[in-house]
Amino acid sequence: MADAADIQRELEDEHERRLKRFRILVCIDGSEESYRGLDYAARMGGADDCDIILLYVRTIDQGLHSGGMQVRVARENMLSWGLELPGIRYLRKGLDLLIENAELEEQWSSTVTHTDVEGDPLGDNKVEYRNTTGKSIVLKLKTAHDPASGILDQYELGPYNLIILGADRKRGLFSRQIAQRVARHAPCSVLAARELVPGRGHLVCTDGSDMALDAVRRDALMAQRFQAPMVSLISIARDDGDLQAAEDAVARAKDAVSDIGLEVLNTYARIGDPVDEIIEAGKEYSLIVMSDTSKSSIKRMLVGSVSSKVLAKAHNSVLIIR
Amino acid sequence: MTETGTARVGLLARSVRRVPPVPGLGHLSRTLNLYYFWEKRWLFIAMAVAAGMLAMPLPDGLSEEGLVVLTMSVFATILFVTEPVPLPSVALMIIVGQVLLLGISSTEVAKSLMTDSVLFIMGSLMLAVAVVRQKLDKRIAWLIVRVTGTKTSRICFGISIVSGILASFVGEHTVAAMMLPVGITLITLTSDDPHKVRNLAAVLLFSISYGCSVAGIGTPSGGARNAIMIGYWEYFYDPTDPATDIFRVDYLTWMLYAYPMFLIQLPFVTMILLVTFRPEYRDLSRACVKLRTQVELEGPMKPSDWVAIVIFALVLTGWITLSADIGMGTVAIMGAIGFLVAGLVKWEDVNSGVNWGVVLLYAAAISLGVQMKDTGAAKWIAESFLDMLTPIGADQGIGLWAAVSVLTTAVTNTMSNGAAVAVLGPIVLKMAVVAGESPIIIGFITAISSAFAYLTVVGTPACTIVYAAGYLKTTDFLKVGWKMAVMSTIVMLVGAAIYWPFLGT
Repeated sequence: MADAADIQRELEDEHERRLKRFRILVCIDGSEESYRGLDYAARMGGADDCDIILLYVRTIDQGLHSGGMQVRVARENMLSWGLELPGIRYLRKGLDLLIENAELEEQWSSTVTHTDVEGDPLGDNKVEYRNTTGKSIVLKLKTAHDPASGILDQYELGPYNLIILGADRKRGLFSRQIAQRVARHAPCSVLAARELVPGRGHLVCTDGSDMALDAVRRDALMAQRFQAPMVSLISIARDDGDLQAAEDAVARAKDAVSDIGLEVLNTYARIGDPVDEIIEAGKEYSLIVMSDTSKSSIKRMLVGSVSSKVLAKAHNSVLIIR
Repeated sequence: MTETGTARVGLLARSVRRVPPVPGLGHLSRTLNLYYFWEKRWLFIAMAVAAGMLAMPLPDGLSEEGLVVLTMSVFATILFVTEPVPLPSVALMIIVGQVLLLGISSTEVAKSLMTDSVLFIMGSLMLAVAVVRQKLDKRIAWLIVRVTGTKTSRICFGISIVSGILASFVGEHTVAAMMLPVGITLITLTSDDPHKVRNLAAVLLFSISYGCSVAGIGTPSGGARNAIMIGYWEYFYDPTDPATDIFRVDYLTWMLYAYPMFLIQLPFVTMILLVTFRPEYRDLSRACVKLRTQVELEGPMKPSDWVAIVIFALVLTGWITLSADIGMGTVAIMGAIGFLVAGLVKWEDVNSGVNWGVVLLYAAAISLGVQMKDTGAAKWIAESFLDMLTPIGADQGIGLWAAVSVLTTAVTNTMSNGAAVAVLGPIVLKMAVVAGESPIIIGFITAISSAFAYLTVVGTPACTIVYAAGYLKTTDFLKVGWKMAVMSTIVMLVGAAIYWPFLGT
């Protein structure tokens, strides 16, 4: 029993340790967008207190589509030929990108962990690279029923501060739905990378609520991780009467950002439909930053939140702060 | 780290702490909200549709039991297509529904689940795993390359032919799993950079998957759908009426009808693929030399390899000569016993390689299909559907054939082809009877058209398996799939009109 208690304590210690760090989960699916997201994560995660976790989710077939013979039979056959299963290549490319970004200059120690999973010959695999300062890069190959639930399950294994995933518009519905689902369910901030170009600053939306203000602060802290932090603020009024309130909201947010020690680049207070205005103004920036909606889940399902609509329709990347 | 740095991390960490990450519980609490209903919406939509159908007044010509069975079929079809719940659970629902809603005794329902077709599906799946385990794939690959030479187009054609001929006997999933490493090895030996061999990868891998898919129609053992159709025909057989003898379709009869259709399609497959994706390399001699060294490492054929080939040859002979007397299912099971007793495959491998839920699913689908026929629900739909077709002149002859083919192709692209035949079988056969067409021809058209699911990844087993290797995109399937579907439909209709009349139907 003592062993069990030890393991429990060890797990708790590890958990405590993780809470003190800034952990970014980057979901790699082999697409350009996901590598751009990784590049962004690497720029943000230059500091020593930052961990980057690369995740590839491989789906398990239910057997019906493959005619009753499990796909694992085919995958085992591939392994016996010495061929790589999908995902390993993508993760390795991601690691190469991080090395390009001078992430792996120093000496890193690596550990490999493996968990068996029913229905897949490889199961879950994890390679962790850790350097002397405690910073770590993790490559994780995970199997799950579908990508979105794989990403969300991964959250359970270790809290993250930010999840980055590609949301390619061209690949249409499928990858966008994954981004939507993860953004909706994940307990942490989610960045849906879409034509992500670093260095053009964040556009943070505020509606004057405390929650939005909190999001502004948190985004400012996140922006500070870049060498050239640039934050702009926007608030949208639905009609003329609300304009004053919108301007106040921007002013309060500006104060909050200044308190943290960052400069605000531009401020906007506009009149119109929030979703359209935000998307229009956001074109110029690397990221559109929004706070998660304060609406209850019933309301959100019926009328939809501004943040999820922007996430669905925006032309560039959207960060939902939670 | 500076002090503000620590504070900063503290603030961010608090945001995480807000939701305590209790393993398991956290996930439960998250899934148990309204989004549970949103993600399972199709289940609730299906339930609402079912409730609506049961509450509506009885349509003309449909019995009360017929309406219940029809409702169950619609419910099951919605779940087959949208998959809000694990598919084997749909099978369990069908079983429970037959007892509770139709009042059939539990033992009767249980009996209707197991037929020769289901035994055959089960046995073939066990055989499939056993065959893949024999690791004869490297030798087959080398054989192909030795015959075709090193030109890309000839290798592709060779792969399609060999995959196709094998798949027509052992099932497309088996051959796709066997040949997949061959294709990928040829690709990776040509170039390590996947971007340089995008088109080559597409041509080689589609040669395997489409070669297998067009072959799945060739013999009854090519796919579960064929066995299901044979099972449905059996119900037309009346031992007292010699005229119904044609409805006992055996292995050889099926081959007579369908095998030529498969052979004609083969050259078109390669042509379509080479035109759609122009491979970057016209010659694969580098890869072939390396493949040869790999095969030489395997050494000469071992006695166990020969035993495997002999057992398989016996199974094939059994299917052709004995299946009329003892049933195809029995022969398939005997083959599985052979592989297990000879120690060529472990039971554990068979157990983990076969998805038993699929066997259950086909069993339940066939049992429901039989109820469709017995309660008159199939007849009612068939008549309604024919009424719809009459204005466009597609209620008989080649018009009806084309309509059935298009209907099957549409359905099969949304669900697995076995499920498509199980759902559509009773309806189209009844349609043939009502329209005065031969149920044999309409049945063949349905079974063959169900292989035309080239458009999606989930359409045919071979496509799913090849896609699982990660080299193809879903859009590749659309790009080439429609050409394949058009080609196959034309070949089938022309064959049905010109060739089948010679067989005396």
